[in-house]
Amino acid sequence: MKGFAAAWLAWALLSPCGGTAWPTHTACREGGLEVLYQSCDPLQDFGFSADQCSKQLKPNLNVRFGLILREDMKELFLNVALINKGSSVFDYSYPVCERDQPKFSFCGRRKGEQFYYAGPVNNPGFAIPEGEYQVMLKLYNENGSTLACANATVICS
Amino acid sequence: MMAPNVSCFLLAVLFSAGCNAVTSSDQMCTEKEANKTYNCENLGLSKIPDTLPDTTEVLEFSFNFLPTIQNTTFSRLINLIFLDLTRCQINWVHEDTFQSHHHLSTIVLTGNPLIFMAETSLNGPKSLKHLFLIQTGISNLEFIPVHNLKHLESLHLGSNHISSINFPKDFPTYNLKVVDFQNNAIQHLTGQDMDSLKQATNLSLSFNGNNIKAIEPGAFHSKVFQSLNFGGTFDLPIILRGLQNSTIQSLWLGTFEDLDDQDLSPDMLQGLCEMSVESINLQKHHFSDFSSSTFRCFTQLQELDLTAAHLEELPSEIKGMNSLKKLVLNANKFDELCQINAANFPSLTHLYIKGNLKKLDLGAGCLEKLENLQELDLSHSDIEVSSCCNLQLKSLHHLQYLNLSYNEPLGFQSQAFKECPQLQLLDLAFTHLHVNVQSPFQSLGLLQVLNLSYCFLDMSNQHLLAGLQDLRHLNLQGNHFQQGNIPKTNLLQTVGSLETLILSSCNLLSIDQQAFHGLGKMTHVDLSHNNLTGSSLGALSHLKGLYLNLASNCISIIPPQLLAILSQQSTINLSHNPLECTCSNSRFLTWYKENLQKFESLEETVCANPPRLRGVKLSAVKLSCRITAVGIFFFIVFFLLLALLLFWAGKFLLRWKYQHI
Repeated sequence: MKGFAAAWLAWALLSPCGGTAWPTHTACREGGLEVLYQSCDPLQDFGFSADQCSKQLKPNLNVRFGLILREDMKELFLNVALINKGSSVFDYSYPVCERDQPKFSFCGRRKGEQFYYAGPVNNPGFAIPEGEYQVMLKLYNENGSTLACANATVICS
Repeated sequence: MMAPNVSCFLLAVLFSAGCNAVTSSDQMCTEKEANKTYNCENLGLSKIPDTLPDTTEVLEFSFNFLPTIQNTTFSRLINLIFLDLTRCQINWVHEDTFQSHHHLSTIVLTGNPLIFMAETSLNGPKSLKHLFLIQTGISNLEFIPVHNLKHLESLHLGSNHISSINFPKDFPTYNLKVVDFQNNAIQHLTGQDMDSLKQATNLSLSFNGNNIKAIEPGAFHSKVFQSLNFGGTFDLPIILRGLQNSTIQSLWLGTFEDLDDQDLSPDMLQGLCEMSVESINLQKHHFSDFSSSTFRCFTQLQELDLTAAHLEELPSEIKGMNSLKKLVLNANKFDELCQINAANFPSLTHLYIKGNLKKLDLGAGCLEKLENLQELDLSHSDIEVSSCCNLQLKSLHHLQYLNLSYNEPLGFQSQAFKECPQLQLLDLAFTHLHVNVQSPFQSLGLLQVLNLSYCFLDMSNQHLLAGLQDLRHLNLQGNHFQQGNIPKTNLLQTVGSLETLILSSCNLLSIDQQAFHGLGKMTHVDLSHNNLTGSSLGALSHLKGLYLNLASNCISIIPPQLLAILSQQSTINLSHNPLECTCSNSRFLTWYKENLQKFESLEETVCANPPRLRGVKLSAVKLSCRITAVGIFFFIVFFLLLALLLFWAGKFLLRWKYQHI
């Protein structure tokens, strides 16, 4: 009886509204580098993978990215915050789509569209020092509405 | 032994009950405008909730579940004007779905896996103007029911499987202004395709993200367009040849970072000589043999956008570009401003060199031939000048708008903008300014807007703003005053025509009562994100009808004598202040509740003290600071006891005295 009640308590606490945490996915795992991510958008999960993963990050990585747009994407901004051992290493904001400069072919897509991108991301190349890093990524539009949000863990060994 | 089990069980029941309550209350639409505008997004609804009033005009119903929509689905909401059904998993749009919706003007069906739309499915609305059928799986334009589209102004057909834009014969196109075919599979445009749209006038047509491989010769012959977009097309010469003899106001031919493109040679742009275009965008292209002959067919252009076109200079001997009014050179790689050879474009009124990828040297007199220039944007370009700006902006006598924000430090000489006396707007935000003289802005008698936010200015210089007699809007956000105090005599005294003043994030602790004296025309004052207390409000006593932002300060108690000052303002924001909700602030709290319509951000205007009321909205606080009936009772009892005690003491004293006589 006791076990049953405890199990039910656990079920009641976790299942109906215990916060639908999205599963943790692997974006890449090779060459001593492992990148895990979890969607922090309460409304949806998304899919992401990077083609080449190594401690010596190559410039202009190719990625694959798929999700459903919940907002228009006329203007799109990316926020990246890197945290190492609890302290912020850098915080960076990058305009992806602007009205006077839509950098990528997907700029201007509309709310409700299923979005799939496979292509380069125009990143600089750099060597990742050994360690474990927390990376927070957020894509938002001109109204500040979130299109995608990710908590990522980068493990470099 | 049983008790803990039962309590555990009960607890579990309670939790699940609590959760159910939460989910059911979650399924409420949010009211954005009473009785008119409602948002029911992401609620997983399979029907229109009964709680929505019949008067609803705007309904955002995206991300719900409506596999079939028919004439009963929305029948109650006959006043609908805008209906967003994005991604509601709609398969079927049956007969007469919108039969009774005479006012409906916009229907959004984006992202629904439509299997079939009945012939009469869009009948009903008297003037259906905007139809969104983006990513609905359409491969043939015959799919769209044509019976009630004669008022249609915009048709959005992006991200489908459309390969031909040949509209059916009975498709009414004469009111169409915007037709969007983004990201489809259109490879060929024929004369017949374009003729099916010939009734439309001033049309904007987008083929962005289609790889057009052929245009039938003459297909665009003597056709007129507001705008044409061929963004991301691989083979530009095909497009330009195909557009022969057309008249286009705005032609977008840019490409993107994720697409391969071929280098543009002067010959490839030859087609531009055979058409009439006012404005052209070639963003992110690479040019080969970049020389004056690249611009041979640009002579009639009024606007040219070469954003991120990998340019290091423009050729010096471009001839015949006298009609160019607007030139955009953002995100290129110039070393010096003189490398744009501005003399090529003598009629230029607007020039944008924003976000240059290298440190841009302004040189001397590089723009002096641009006598008609009105707007100049040099923001985000790593510009650093030790003595600015008369040499750099030489002869720009008609300049009205100058943006130098987000640059490296600029040093200002005296009368720094003497060469641009017509300046009306000057933006220097986030650029460190080294002001070695008293009044750098002297000679800007027509300036109306000045943004000096985060310029690290010396605010103790009382003459900093001298000469700006027409200034209406001043932004000083992020600049620090000495000791956090705006004294009686300060730099604002020379700008008496000010209407908007922004002093947020200035680390202010106090403002002298007389500090804003002489600023009688102000209508908007932003003092948010400082450390001000209620006593600083005295500085606003002579101002009426203000929009006053005091959010995120240290205001806890507002003394009764200052309430008159707040009363005379029109809108006040007091959110994020450590407001006191005790009897010492009761006059203010009563007044606040009587004047709620004056306040904005009511949700964030909460108590900080006493601890038991922390986080409670000010409008919800009920204080009783008068003495209660119980209080009066104890008060009386206390007095009676005291009187009794005195009486006994007197009696005792008298008796004692009497005995000792």
